[in-house]
Amino acid sequence: MTTLLQLLITGLLVGAVYALMSSGLTLIFGVMRVVNLAHGAFAVLAAYLTYTVWTWTGLDPLLSVPIIVAVMFGIGWLSYNLVVRHVRGSHISMTVLVTFGIALTIEGIAGFVWGNQSRTVRTSYTDTSVQIGPFFLPTATLLAAAIAVALLGALFFILNQTWTGRAVRASAVNESGALLVGVSVKSIAASAFALGIATLGAGGAIIAVMYPFIPGTHYQWIARLLAIVVLGGLGSLMGAVIGALSIGVAEQFATQYVGASWVEIVPFLVIIIILIVRPRGILGQKLREDATV
Amino acid sequence: MRIGASLPLTGEFSQGGADTQRGYEIWAKLQNEQGGILGRKVEMIYKDDATNQNTVVSNYNQLLSNEGVDLLLGTQSSLLNIPASTVAERAGMLYICASCASPEMFNRGFKYSFFSQQAMASDQGATFADWIIGLPKEKRPKKVAYPSLDDPFATPVAEGIRKKLEAAGIETAYADTYPVATKNFDAIVTAIRDSGAEAVVQGAQFEDGVNFVRALNRANFHPEILYQSSSPTYGQQYVDGVGKANTEGVLFSSSYHVDADTKGNKEFAARYREIYGGYPPEDAADGYAAGQVLAAVVEGVGRTDDQKALADWLRGNEVETVLGKLSWNEDGSPRGDFLLGQWQNNVSEVVLPGEAATTTRITRWRGEAF
Repeated sequence: MTTLLQLLITGLLVGAVYALMSSGLTLIFGVMRVVNLAHGAFAVLAAYLTYTVWTWTGLDPLLSVPIIVAVMFGIGWLSYNLVVRHVRGSHISMTVLVTFGIALTIEGIAGFVWGNQSRTVRTSYTDTSVQIGPFFLPTATLLAAAIAVALLGALFFILNQTWTGRAVRASAVNESGALLVGVSVKSIAASAFALGIATLGAGGAIIAVMYPFIPGTHYQWIARLLAIVVLGGLGSLMGAVIGALSIGVAEQFATQYVGASWVEIVPFLVIIIILIVRPRGILGQKLREDATV
Repeated sequence: MRIGASLPLTGEFSQGGADTQRGYEIWAKLQNEQGGILGRKVEMIYKDDATNQNTVVSNYNQLLSNEGVDLLLGTQSSLLNIPASTVAERAGMLYICASCASPEMFNRGFKYSFFSQQAMASDQGATFADWIIGLPKEKRPKKVAYPSLDDPFATPVAEGIRKKLEAAGIETAYADTYPVATKNFDAIVTAIRDSGAEAVVQGAQFEDGVNFVRALNRANFHPEILYQSSSPTYGQQYVDGVGKANTEGVLFSSSYHVDADTKGNKEFAARYREIYGGYPPEDAADGYAAGQVLAAVVEGVGRTDDQKALADWLRGNEVETVLGKLSWNEDGSPRGDFLLGQWQNNVSEVVLPGEAATTTRITRWRGEAF
C-alpha cells in the first residue's frame, strides 16, 4: 500500500508538470487548429534560456520563471507573426510541416549557440526530498508541481475572467461568431500562440531543474505532450490537465507493476482504448469536420 | 585522401557524435602534419545523420556515390552503425567504427566491418564482474539490480555482467529495460529499493545515467556498489549532471584514460586541450583511435583501391592506438578487455586491471574503500 501511494504521489507531481507543458499545445490547437510540433523544441529553448540566466546571474531557476515566461511570450508572438500566421487556416498537415520546420530550426540554433553537449541546472534541492512518514516527495518536483498548479490557475483565470481570455475562447469555439461580435481573431490568435508558448516557457524552466537536456531532447517531449493532449481531447485545457495527470500516474504504475519496458506502451494503450470509446479524447470538442464524417 | 563519415551532430546522440567528430578532426590534423596517408593529405567529409537510422543509410550512400570518398569511418552508436555498416558491406568498403559495441553488429557475417575499441558490449563489464566475484564473501553483494536502457549497446553491457554474476551465485533482485524517453526514474528506483538489491548495475547512455543517480538520491537509496556504462565516461558533463559528491565511487568500464602510456596519447590529449580545452572525453579518444586504425591499415597495405585487402590485413595484424593495442576476430569484433574505471576525488581513475591501474584503491559509492 505504501508503494502504491508513493507511486500515486510521484505520478501526480510529475503529471502536474506535464499538464503545464501540454496546456499551451492544446490552447494553440483549440484556437487556431495548429498542431504545434515545435512545442517540445520551445520547451528545450526555454530550458536553455533558464540555464543561461542561471550561469550568468546565479538566480535560482525557479525564481527566473517570470523572466523566461516573458521572453518566451515574445518569442511565441514573433514565431506566430513571422511563420505560423501564414499557414493558419491551411490544411492541418501544412501546420504540422511548418511547425516541424520551426522545431528543426530551434534545434539547430540551440546547437550553434549552446553546443551539443548536455546542459544541466543543479540547485541545492535537485537531489533532495521531503520525507513525510514513509513517503518521499522529491523537492524539485514538489516545487515544480506547485508552480505548475499556480500557473495553470492563472491561465484558467485569464481564459475565464478576462476579456482577452473570453475572446480566445470565443475564437476557439466559433471563429465567425467571434468576428461578428468584434473580436479581432487575427490578433487574438497571435496572443493565444504567445500565451501558449509563455506557459510552456515556465515548463521549460522547470524541466531544466529536473532533467539534463541537449538540443535533440525535444523529440522525447513532443511525443509525450502530443499523447497527453490527444488523450485529454485536442483543444481542451481541462482535458490536457486530466490527460497529463493520468499519463504521469500511468507511467509510474506501469514501471512498478508491468515493467519499465512497458512504460511508454501502457499510456498509449490507454489512449487507444479511450479513442476507440471516445474518439475526441476525454474532454475534446466535436469539430465541424467530425460532424461531416 | 577523401575520408567520409556520417555522425549524429544533431538529435538525441549529438553529444557523442560531436565528441567523435572532435576525435576524427584531431586525428586528421595530426596525420596531415606527419605527411598524411601514403603521402596524400587527409580530407574529412562529414554528413549529419540527425540520430536517424534512415538518414545515416542515405548519408553513406551519398558519401560513396556523390562524394567519391576513398575510405569510410563509422558513425556514432550501435543504433546507427548497424544500418550504416550494411551500406559499406554492400559496396565492399572497409568500415571502421569507433562505437559499435553491440553483438548485433558482428553476428551478420559481414566481412568489412571492424570495431576499433577493445571489447564488445557484452564483454565490457567483464573486469567489473570478475572483481565482484573475487570479493571476500562478506563484502560481496548477495542481490544485484540491473536497470538498463533499451539500446543495442547499453543492454548487452548489463546482460553480460548479469550472466557472469548469476553464474557465480549472485542473485538477480531486479532486471528490466526502460525506453529512451524515460525521464523520471523515481518508480524504477522505488522498485529496486523494494527488491533488496545491494548493488546496482545500470546499462546507461548519458542522460538516463544522470537522471538515475538523481532519483537514487531523492529516494535516499544508496547501494554500496554502483556501476554505470557510458554515463560516467562523459567527464565534466557527468560531474555537472550528478554533482561532485555523487560521482565518488561510481564504477564504469572505459576504453580510454588520459594518462595512459599508449601510442600518440600525449599528442592527442595535448592537441585536444589546445583546441577544445579540458580532458578529452572517451568518444573523442575512440574517434581518434579509429583514425589511427585506418591510417595503419592503409599504410600496411599501401593502397586504397583493394578494400578486401584492407579488411584481410586487419584480421591478421595488431594496431597500436591511444586505447592500447587492438586486434580483431574473423568477424571484425575486437579481442581485448576494457579498463575498469572509478570516480575518486573528482578524478576518473583506472582501478583494474592492475597493470593499467592509476590507483590501487576501490571505494564504495559515496563511501569508504573496500
